[in-house]
Amino acid sequence: MSARPLTGVRVLDFGLLTAGANTSAMLADLGADVIKIESGAYLDPFRIVGKPDNEDGWWNRSPQFRFTNRNKRGLALNLKAPEGQRVIRELAAHCDVVVENFRRGVLDRAGLGYKDLSALNPRLVFAAISSQGDTGPERMNVSFGSTLDATSGIASLTGYEGEEPRISGMDVNYPDQIVSLFATGIVITAVMEARRTGQGAFLDFSQREVASFTLGEEILAASADPARPNGRRGNREEGVTQQDAYRCKDGRWIAVTLDQPDATLAAFCASLDSTAAVTALLARGIAAAPCNDGNDLLGNTALQGVTLVRDERGGLVKGLPYRLSGKGISIERPGPDLGQHTSEVLRELLGYDDAQLKKLAEAGVTSTMPTIGDV
Amino acid sequence: MSNDTALPLARFTILEVNDANVPLCLRLSTSLAAKIAADLGASVLKIEPPGGDPVRRAPPFLPQGESALFQFLNTSKRSLVLDLASDAGRATLKGLLDKADAVLFEEPAASAPLLRASRATPIEIAAFSVEMNAATRPVSEFAILALGGLLHMVGEPERKPLRLGGHQASYAAGLTAFTGLAAALAARDAGQTAPDVRVSLAEVMQWVNWKAVSGADAAGASPGREGRISEFQIVPCRDGHVAVVYTVTQWPATRTLIGDPRLADAKFSTRAGRRQNIAELYEIITPWFVGKTRTEIQKTAQAKGVPFGPIFSPAELLQTEQYVARGFLADMDHPTLGTLRLPQLPVQWNGRSFAPRPAPELAA
Repeated sequence: MSARPLTGVRVLDFGLLTAGANTSAMLADLGADVIKIESGAYLDPFRIVGKPDNEDGWWNRSPQFRFTNRNKRGLALNLKAPEGQRVIRELAAHCDVVVENFRRGVLDRAGLGYKDLSALNPRLVFAAISSQGDTGPERMNVSFGSTLDATSGIASLTGYEGEEPRISGMDVNYPDQIVSLFATGIVITAVMEARRTGQGAFLDFSQREVASFTLGEEILAASADPARPNGRRGNREEGVTQQDAYRCKDGRWIAVTLDQPDATLAAFCASLDSTAAVTALLARGIAAAPCNDGNDLLGNTALQGVTLVRDERGGLVKGLPYRLSGKGISIERPGPDLGQHTSEVLRELLGYDDAQLKKLAEAGVTSTMPTIGDV
Repeated sequence: MSNDTALPLARFTILEVNDANVPLCLRLSTSLAAKIAADLGASVLKIEPPGGDPVRRAPPFLPQGESALFQFLNTSKRSLVLDLASDAGRATLKGLLDKADAVLFEEPAASAPLLRASRATPIEIAAFSVEMNAATRPVSEFAILALGGLLHMVGEPERKPLRLGGHQASYAAGLTAFTGLAAALAARDAGQTAPDVRVSLAEVMQWVNWKAVSGADAAGASPGREGRISEFQIVPCRDGHVAVVYTVTQWPATRTLIGDPRLADAKFSTRAGRRQNIAELYEIITPWFVGKTRTEIQKTAQAKGVPFGPIFSPAELLQTEQYVARGFLADMDHPTLGTLRLPQLPVQWNGRSFAPRPAPELAA
C-alpha cells in the first residue's frame, strides 16, 4: 500500500471504551501501527459491556469492542507487574505516540506516565484523555458518558419545552463520541512537530471541555449577558422560523425545518405516510428527513457512505467519519483477541525469543484469558 | 503561546472560502475546522462574499448586536471580501490558492469545482454522503440529526424525539474536518501527495451514533429513546437537576451512597433486574436528591466513585471551579466589543493553552 499520512508512526494504545480506543483507531486508519495494551486483569470494558454470551472466549466476541478496535494489534501485559511495566517501557522506546484514558495517576503509579516515558523517548507524543483534564480540583473525578452531557452544559439545552433537562443516554453517550474527532487532529499536529523538532508533547484533553467547546457561542453569549434567557426549547432553534418533529400517518416521525411558518404542517404530515411527506416537502424546497433508527441506518447503504464496513470475518465494524481521496477504508485486521499479538510484537520490536516469551507467560505477565472471574 | 512563530501550525497557510448560497449548517462546520487551525497558529484567510459571511447575522447575539456565533467560530482569522461571481474575484482567489496549503469550502458552493482543482489540498464539507448524490437537496442541521439517527435516541418513547442542544451535527463535522485537515497537512509535510478530504454531516452523525447500528445488528431491534424507562434518568435536587449515571461495576457504590435498605433486594442486584424494576428503583432513590444541592451531590458521589452528573447551564459554567482553575475560558480583548469570555481549544499542550485572537471585522 502506498504511503498514508501516518505511515511509519507507531502508537502505544492504552485507550479504553470509545474516547481513548477510538482516537487510536482513527490514527490506525491513517496508517499508524497501533499496538493496544490490555491485560488479563484489566480488559477494555467494551469486551465486558458488549459480551454476547457466557461461553468460553466471550471476551473476544463483543461487537462494541470489534467496532472500535479493528486495524489494531492486541497485546496483553500486566501493568501492575514490574516485569510488565519493564516490557512496556521497552516498547515505548519504539513508539511515537501514547494514547491513554485511564483515571489520572494510574500510569504514573505504574512508572509509565509521561515523565517516565518521555525520559526514555523524548519524541513521544502523549495523549492523556480524561474526564476533567490532568489539572484542577476535579481532576480525579470519574465520569461515564452522559455524566458529561450534564456537566458540560449540553443537557441544560436539551429537553421538551419548559421541562427538565435531558441527556443523550447510555446508547449514545454523546460526549464520549466526539472527543476522538478532535483529539486525533491534535495528536497528528503534535506528531508533525515531533517529526520536525524531535520533541514530543504532553497533550492534556478534558472530555468535559471538549463537550462544552461545542457550546462555545452559548457560553460567550451568557458571559456577555448573564440574564440571557436559556433552557429547553424542544426542537425549536433561535433564528429558525419553525422546526419540529411531526408524526406521520404511518406512525413514523419526520424532522422538518421551515423558513416560512406553516400552521397546517402537523395536519399535512399526519395525512401522509412518512416517505410521501418527506418527498413532498423536499419537492417544495423544505428541509425534511425521516427520523431513522439503527435498523434504518443498517439498511441504507447510500446514506451510510463510508461509516460502516465489514471485517474479514464478515463482522460489521466502524468505518471512517470522512472520505480520504474519495475512498473509505478496507479493514486490514479485525479487532484483536485478547493478547493475540503479544508474542508477534515482542519478537518484532524487542527481539524476544521463545524462552523469554515463555517466562513472561508463566509469570502471568502476558495472557490470553481474563483473570477477573465472572462478569 | 504568545509568540505566533512558536505555534504548531504557524508554517501553514489555509483558505476558508465562504461562497454565496450555501446552507448555514455547512458554514458552521467549515468555520469551526478553520478556527481550530487558526488558534493553533495557521495563517487562515477567510474569503467572505459581498455583505459578509451570513453567520455574522446569526444568533445568539451579544448585547452590542454582534453575533456571538460568528465571534466564536472565527477567532484568529483574517478576512477578505471577494465576489466569486466576478472574473476579478475568481482571479484573486486563484492567486491565493497557489500559495495555500489547504482550502476549506462547501460542496454546494459555485466555486467548488475551481477549489477542488487547485494545488491547495481541498477539504470539502457536504451535507450528505457521495452515494446519496444529493448536493442540492434542501438541508437543515435538524434534518441531519434525524437522518443520522441521533434524534431517535433522545426523549420519551411515546413522545416526539428531541434534538441535542447546540450545533452538534455541524460541530462534530467541523471537528472531523479539522482532523482531516491535520492529516492532509501531515502528508504534505512528509512529502506525500495529500489526500483530499470530504466530510458530510450525515456520515459524521451516523459515525457518532454507531451504537444504534451496532445494537440493531447484534439484537435485531434498534436501541432508541427510553425516557422514563432508561437506567440513566434526570432527577430534581434542591437547586436544579442531576443526571443519575453509573456503570454496572459502580452499582454497589451507588447503592451504598443512597443507603436505602430496600436497594439490597435481590431484584436490584443485576442490571436486568434493575431495568425490569426501574420505576420502583427511581422511587427509592429520588428522595435522596431532593434536599441536597448539585455541588453536595457531586462531592458526596465522587467520594464514592459514583459519576452522577449535576446539570449546569452555560452561564453557570463560567463560574465552574474546574474551568476557572484550568483557565479553560479565555478573556479575549476585542477592539470594538470589549472583553469577551469564551472557551479555548479543549487541549493543553505541555501545560499551555491556545489563546484565541478576535474574529476579523468585515472590510468596508
